[in-house]
This record gives sequence, structure tokens and C-alpha cells, in this order.
Amino acid sequence: MADWRSVGQPVAHVEGPDKVTGRARYTADISLPGMLSGRCLRSPFPHARIRSIDVSQAAALPGVHAVITGTDLPDRRLGRFFLDMPVLARDVVRFVGEKVVAVAAESADIAEEALTLIEVEYEELPAVFDALEAMRDDAPRVHADTSGYAHPPIPDFAHRGDDRLFPAIPNVVSQVRYSHGDTEAGFARAARIFEHTFSVPPVHQGYLEPHASVVHIEPDGKVQLWLSNKTPFIARAQFAAGIGLAEDRVCVNTAPLGGDFGGKGSLMDSVVCYHLAARSGRPVKMVMSYTEELMAGNPRHAATMTLKTGLDAEGRITARHARLVFSCGAYAAFTPLHTVHGGVHAGGPYRIPHVDIEVLRTYTHTVPAGHMRAPGAPQVVFAVESHMDCIAHELGLDPLEFRLRNALQEGDRAPLGEEWRTIRCKETLRAAADTAGWESDKAPGVGRGIGLYDREPGAFGPSSATLTLNPDASLSLMTGAADTGTGSFTVLQQIVAEEFQLPLERVQVVQGDTDTAAWEVGAGGSRLTHMAGRATLLAVRALKDALIDLAARQMGCVADTVQLQAGQFLGQDGQRLDLHTFAAQAQDQLPVSRLGSYVPDPVEVTSFCAQIAEVEVDPQTGQVSLRKLTSAHDVGTVLNPLTHQGQIEGGVAQGLGQALTEHLLIQDGAVSSLNLGDYKLPTSMDMPELKTALVESRSGPAPYAGKAVGEHSNVAVPAAIANAVFDAVGVRLNDLPVTAEKVYRGLQRRAARTDRDTAS
Amino acid sequence: MKTLHLWVNGESVSREVADNRLLIDFLRDDLGLTGTKEGCSVGVCGACTVLVDGQPVSACLSLAVSVADCRLVTIEGLAEGERLHPLQRAFLEYGGFQCGICTSGQIMAAKALLDTNPHPSVEEIRSWMMGNLCRCTGYYKIIESIQAVAEGKVSA
Repeated sequence: MADWRSVGQPVAHVEGPDKVTGRARYTADISLPGMLSGRCLRSPFPHARIRSIDVSQAAALPGVHAVITGTDLPDRRLGRFFLDMPVLARDVVRFVGEKVVAVAAESADIAEEALTLIEVEYEELPAVFDALEAMRDDAPRVHADTSGYAHPPIPDFAHRGDDRLFPAIPNVVSQVRYSHGDTEAGFARAARIFEHTFSVPPVHQGYLEPHASVVHIEPDGKVQLWLSNKTPFIARAQFAAGIGLAEDRVCVNTAPLGGDFGGKGSLMDSVVCYHLAARSGRPVKMVMSYTEELMAGNPRHAATMTLKTGLDAEGRITARHARLVFSCGAYAAFTPLHTVHGGVHAGGPYRIPHVDIEVLRTYTHTVPAGHMRAPGAPQVVFAVESHMDCIAHELGLDPLEFRLRNALQEGDRAPLGEEWRTIRCKETLRAAADTAGWESDKAPGVGRGIGLYDREPGAFGPSSATLTLNPDASLSLMTGAADTGTGSFTVLQQIVAEEFQLPLERVQVVQGDTDTAAWEVGAGGSRLTHMAGRATLLAVRALKDALIDLAARQMGCVADTVQLQAGQFLGQDGQRLDLHTFAAQAQDQLPVSRLGSYVPDPVEVTSFCAQIAEVEVDPQTGQVSLRKLTSAHDVGTVLNPLTHQGQIEGGVAQGLGQALTEHLLIQDGAVSSLNLGDYKLPTSMDMPELKTALVESRSGPAPYAGKAVGEHSNVAVPAAIANAVFDAVGVRLNDLPVTAEKVYRGLQRRAARTDRDTAS
Repeated sequence: MKTLHLWVNGESVSREVADNRLLIDFLRDDLGLTGTKEGCSVGVCGACTVLVDGQPVSACLSLAVSVADCRLVTIEGLAEGERLHPLQRAFLEYGGFQCGICTSGQIMAAKALLDTNPHPSVEEIRSWMMGNLCRCTGYYKIIESIQAVAEGKVSA
């Protein structure tokens, strides 16, 4: 609203001064007295039995303080949901890069030298690398026996379908079916039916801070842990269980993350780090090299997706069937759910009365996959939006018109039956089209393509915040959420400043560790503005009530009759007491703190994103240049236009990378893109002209009717680009990334067909 | 081991270093200057950019002994006490960072540009900054931040 002074303002990151001066200390910057460096020897084979390990020479190297193998440790499995991953490989290695031996030494150099002195004898076993092949009866089993793998119940917040865990299909981790209506009937009344298959390789989150952990075990056994993880309380729980201690014997300390993008929700090497610290009696730091990140991080799931859609004579969708196969890699440990959530997007933001979606997640002997910004969604949306585009062209319809004809509108049920309020799908699509100049003339070789997606603001469990009035009348908000760089702390600062009608400088935000902060899920799933924001509002309300009680006594008033506005307590008969004077007079009662804990209500709105890519394709070489990208967003109130736009821009860059430059290449089961020279993240020179359109409404579940934006702008970019390439030169790409080679070959095939057609 | 002498952020420094000690490890571990970050370790991402006699250098690819008697500037050397460098102020105001892990390198590379070419065009900025990867921002606000300083919109 026009009279907000903090909310709605482009406020700079509250933690900014530390970041621009180099003062911010990330996990790898931590140094403790006597600290050792930990390094790991990793498997060179995708599937092998470990016959023997000889560490004697490594252990004897001067400067080495601990050497550990899998069988030195209790057999406790790790995982965010499925506990299927050993701390170090036991008996068998299941992917190239799996940790086999760990060493702690006086320096990383000595630890690396020690690794070269370790002799491991392997017996290679047959391996399977492709998810479809892995489901055949004759496929080697990645896990001989999954019956011992514990997991919690599927959380309430997960979208439930018919969920089967470890069904009787070779190597399948989970088989989930989402259904609505009767697809047999829907296809029966279709005038036309189309089926297409698409595939997407893995991509890496590409955060520039590799995973790091530091463990210090205090004399009484309490563990001080620093690790690059965006959900500190969940990390504490899993870490404590993983090492066999009660949670209150572990403290997860604070450090900002150098990028997360979904990839930093696991314990990664921290449990190994703990065992090295326990074995050596010294603090230990482990930092992954970037090669290790690419080889053995937790990249986005590769997927092969088949979509079948029926349409009536007017081009309206009558039914959709989807079969989505996600390649899990060697362990399911890196995802917090049994399946990949993106499967729910296989209907898209369209009116589809009959839907049947099958999602399979399959073990292979490759790097285990994890979460990345909108898990599963870019894969599925690439398939859905390419499929929609193919259908539009087959029906002779403009891709925009075809989407508008089928787009959700107010009162419609979404494909899986959700009844969203304030549906702005068409408005968002039209905003994109208008801003992009969809109808305007195009030079030869120029094409435009659309991608459309929706995602609801996340919740994923409770949030808490503690608000304190300090003796100097300043306010401190403590959150247990980690700082992944999105500006989440700044939004909380703005909310407190707005609610108290005080300048931003009077409000500081502090990240508490797991000993001092109240329980909080943490960052992820585009949830913090919504959930930490709501918890903050509860803390604000509780603190105001407490302060009014105290101030009323100073004023000689009844608390019920006192209000707190803009730093002044106001009595009903004109009494005034300003906050500073109150604080000065209440020194023996301050600081006063109040906790707000928020458990989510069901979210009733979704949020649409329509993107239009404009490309230019060189017909000689197939080279694709992304000239312009338009990103239209259905948003609630934008609490911070600077950080909101920052999320949109960063997401577009990641979408562009997945579309055009990034491919985590796996050859014979091993990742072969092993440095950032080979794995190409977009640079400043790759970025197109970007136009943003915001379709604003007051309709979200976050404070001030905000929604979420973190996992929107990366998702539909690959589809929009592929569709633009087809529009430009008539070449349809069914897999990513879109490369000059693929487009060139497509152009050659078109030319050959044209030659044949004209010759006959 | 040999005794290395150089200037770091205006201060004279003398330390014993092994011949194979990387500059990045010398700065971060031996001198405790952790503002310079290690990302890719192969000189591609630019997170470890420091200035050596005014030139941007990837500290992860340099040996400490190779900068003997040189004048180094790291991110810690930019602000004068509480007074931030205009680039630091611009990055704050224009949102040129999010997680901050690439920010030291971005600012040092930008400083090298503006020290030699105080009024670059947008294209010159984009091209110069190609050696500094960022995964959070999409680069738009990094370029805007640098442009703001180049256009005199951020006071000295």
C-alpha cells in the first residue's frame, strides 16, 4: 500500500555490509585451534565389491592423525527420507565417486598424499546406468536388499497419490500415481490423441561454495558443527541420529551459505568429518573440491517422460496420461521425499478433467540425485510445454491461443483436483505476450516460444521467530533459518519495522544456532517469506502485548486501553510514553522477548509464471542466441522489489543454463564434466535482454498478502527456448540442452526431407 | 621454504612459504584473509580474484612465491575503516550480490576495470566481467552496480 514505509521498499540486504567487505564467514572460512583437514578416497568404479583395503602406509605418513574405512564405523545409514546411504562404503561401492576411505591430517596436502598411499582392491560388478534399463528383469540390482532401509512416514505436506515404496519392479525406489477423473473415458471421447517422449540430463546446482563442514567435539562430548546446510534443525536431528547421540548433544552453528538452490539439504560429508574428529581427538574441517561436487554432489534428477494427451474437436484437452521416470542414482538419500515432487506438474496449469500421472524413481549406478530449485519441475515442464507446443502446431493453432483456450480460469479445478482461489493464469500469459510483443514481426531465423507453469507458495512445516526489545529500545529478531542469500532476513526486518512503525535501522536480524533459536524448518521450497514471515508476525503481536502491559503500568493506565504506534505508547485519555523513555525507565525488566511459532494453514492459492523466449538461430551452424526473455509473474504483494527481482533474474539465468549450456555428462556411469571449465555455467555474456511483468494482486498467504517467487523463473525457460527454436527454424528438440549440434542435425534432416519431397 | 616479502592491502608482509604454496591458501590460511573465496580451483569462476600490482589475478592458480615484492589488494583492503569503497556501496544499493560468495571476486575484478577505464560502456563491463561467475543474481544487478559507479551515481 502507498503508506507502507518498509514493506514494499527495495531495501538492501541487512547482512550486506559483511558480504561486500569479505567479513562474512562461511563454513570454509572457519578456523579452530589444532584443526585438521579431512579428505576422502573415492570409488573409481560404478559398481564393485571391496575385496580389501590397506591403509597401513597412509596411517604411517607423518602428519596423518586418523584413517577410517566403512567397516570401522557402526552400520548406520544416512538419508533425508530413505536411510540407504552408508557413511563410508561398506562391502560394495555403487557409484563412481562414492566415499571409501577418509583421512584427517595436519594439512590438505598431507591428507591428499595419504590417499595416494591407500590400496583398495575392487572386484568389478555389472552396472546399469540408464533408468529405463534398470527396470528390466535382467538388470543388475543397485541394492540387493532394500528391506532394511528405514524411512519416516510420508510427511503431511507431501502431495499424496497412490504411493508405493520399493515396489516389485527392479531397482525402483518409489512408484507414485496421481489420478483425477477417468482417463479411459477422457481418451475415448478425444477427436485427436498425441503422444511424445522427452528426456533431460542431470544438471548441478552450481553454487560457487562447495560443501564444507567443520566438527569440534568438546571435552564433555558435545558436538559443535558447522556445515553448509539450509535447514539447521533438520540437519541436527539427522546428524545426531547418524552418530548415535541425543539432539541436545549437537549444536549446529551459524554460517551463511554460498548458494543453495536446493542442493544443500543433506549432511554430505559432515558425518565423516565427525568420525575423523572423534578418531583424531582434534577439530576437523572438510571442504569438497569442485571436482568432487560435480562427481559426487547431489545433482538434479535426469528424467525420461512420456506424455499422452487427448483433445476434442475444438482443441480442448479431454485427458492426459503421463509416465515420468526419474533417475535416482545410486542412493535415494539426498531427497526429503519418497518421490520427486515435480510429477504433480504433469498436467500443467490447464483445465484437464481426466489425468493419470505415474512417477517412477529408479536406482542406477550413477551419482545420487537430490533437490534443485523446483525439484522435478523444469524436467516435467520441459516435457509438458514442448508437448503442448507440438500439439498446437499439429492442430494449426497459435501456441498462445491454444494455451489460452485450455488455461485454468477462476472456478476451475486444477488437473489433480485442487481448487485454487484468484486464478490469474490467462492474465499472466497475456501479460507475457504483450510485454514480449508476441504478435510483432520477426526477422528470418528469429522465433518466439512460450513456457507456462504454476507453483503454490511453500510451507513444509513450522517456523518460529523470537523478537526482543533491547534496553536501548532497538528490536532484535532471531530466526533459526539459514541465510542462503535470497534476502529472507531482510524481508523479516522489513516486517518488524513496518509492524512497529519504526525505521529499519532500529531492527536487527540475528540468525541463532540450534542451541539458541527456536525450532524452524529452514530455507527451501519457497517458504520463508510465508512461514518465517508469519511466525514473525506472531512474535510481533506477542511482544507488543507484553510491552503494552509493562508500559501501561508506567503510565498508570489499564493495558487494554493502551496502544503502541510508531514508537509511542498511547493511552485513551491522551497519555503518551515514547519507546526510548519507556526502555530507560524499564532497565531492570529489559530485554523482553516473545516467541512466535506458526504452523501452516493449507495454502489456497497458486502462482503462475509465463515466459516467452525470443531466439535467433543461425541456419548455417544451428547456433542459438537467446536475444530476449520475458518473464511474467502472478504475484501477491511484493515485500521487497529489489530481492524479488533478484530472485527472478537469478532463476532466469539458471533456466538458461539448463536450456543451453549445462549438461552433467555421465559416461560409463562416471561424471565426466569435472570442473567449471567443462560444466558451463552461464556468464555475464550469456544473459539476454530481460523484461519482467508483474501481475499483482493482494492474494497470498505470506504477510501483507505476499506469495513466493524463488522457484518460478527457472522452470519454464528451457521449454520456452525449445519452443522458440521450433518457431524459428522448425526443428523440434526432445531433449536438453539445446545445442548448435542438435539444431544443425535437425536442420540437415529437414533439408533432406524437403529434398525428398520436392524430388518426388 | 623461502622467505616471501610482499605488500598486502598496504602493509608489508614477510613470511616463510613453501615453493608450492598457492597464493589463495597463503592469503586465507597463512594471513587469515578469508574474504578471498575458493570456488572452482581452476581459475574459471573468478571467486578468488585479487589485484596484483593492479592486475586481476586468480589466486587459486598463482603460487605465493610468484608475487614476491608485489603489491596485493584483497577485498579486505577496499574499505577505509567504516568508509566503504563506492563499488561496495553500489553493490549494496543496487543488489549486486545475494549469497555473497562470488562478491569479493566481482568487486575486485570491477575495481581493476574502473581503475584503468573509469567510464566503460555497458558492453565493456559485461565483457570484462565474463570471468566472474555468479549463480545467484543472473548478473543484471552486478552490471548495474558497476555501471552506477562508472556513471558517477555513487559518491566517492
